[in-house]
Amino acid sequence: MAREKHLGKKGFWMKKLPRRDKMKIYGDLLFILYGEAKTEKVVLTRVQLKINVPFDRLKTYIAELKELGLIQDEVSLKLTEKGKQYLREYETVLDFMNRMGLTYR
Amino acid sequence: MDNLALILVEVVSAALCFVLLRFMIKPYRATGEGRYLGLPLGFGFLGISYVFMAVALYFESFRFVEEIKWLQLFTQAYAFAFLAATYYFSKKPSKNTRLWWNITYAALIFAAVVSYLVVVEPPMFGLPSYKTADEYFRLFNIICLAYVSVHTLRSHVSRPDPETIWIPFGYLLLGFSQYSLLVWSIDSSFSAYVGAYFLRLTSLLIFLFVSYRVFYGSRKAPREEGILDEKAPA
Repeated sequence: MAREKHLGKKGFWMKKLPRRDKMKIYGDLLFILYGEAKTEKVVLTRVQLKINVPFDRLKTYIAELKELGLIQDEVSLKLTEKGKQYLREYETVLDFMNRMGLTYR
Repeated sequence: MDNLALILVEVVSAALCFVLLRFMIKPYRATGEGRYLGLPLGFGFLGISYVFMAVALYFESFRFVEEIKWLQLFTQAYAFAFLAATYYFSKKPSKNTRLWWNITYAALIFAAVVSYLVVVEPPMFGLPSYKTADEYFRLFNIICLAYVSVHTLRSHVSRPDPETIWIPFGYLLLGFSQYSLLVWSIDSSFSAYVGAYFLRLTSLLIFLFVSYRVFYGSRKAPREEGILDEKAPA
């Protein structure tokens, strides 16, 4: 599916991204927030560009992750220890699935 | 007790499958997607089939050995069918195929229950010759394993990585072990029989090696700057 391309409205070739489920979006969002921890303050619009979801839905996901205790919002958005642990396990399972030849989309 | 070595291999194979089951359930637990349930179910059924074979070898002079061997045939075929179904559905987008994988897994479990009942209640249906059935089941197993091997090999080719070559190799060995058993059932070749056991144990050890390396070995980030990279800032 990722290889499929279609003609966009503006007439140039756009890559058609596969749909992600919520679990994958959570994983991607945590990964991006972990990467953004290097910067002084996490800018949500930059996160939105990276994760490729509408801004209102991004805010919902962030609220859900906060509720789950995976991220905290003190000075800036960052992963809690629980969030880091979750991301570590999630990445390990993805690595395992990749080695098992399973596709996760 | 002539079969002690074979019983031992069956028991070790079953133990390996049940250890692998612990790892194989992780994709389902992490993603919550039913399509990955076929992986633990496959290895679980495979382990049970080896237990049945060990029991059949241990009680080989008993009256119910034939029934146990039939159960072993069915269980092993379901194991490979579950594995093939998992790989088939893993390449499809989950949203479009959710209903199909639910139907497939439910049908496989229903077929398993019905076939066990048929074996346990033989007066209802006359079972065909075990030897003939064994050859057909081996063929079915080879087809399933060939599909899984090709799928994993294609996945490796699309993203070449030395770490991902082990699993197709493991499935190929498991397929060759079924082929060796097929050869043995046709011409009673002793080397094919021993070779089948050797290939099977090797393939299961490969799966265990890969799983252990991912979950307990030196960790490598799957993404460029993954959280598993210890140099990455906290």
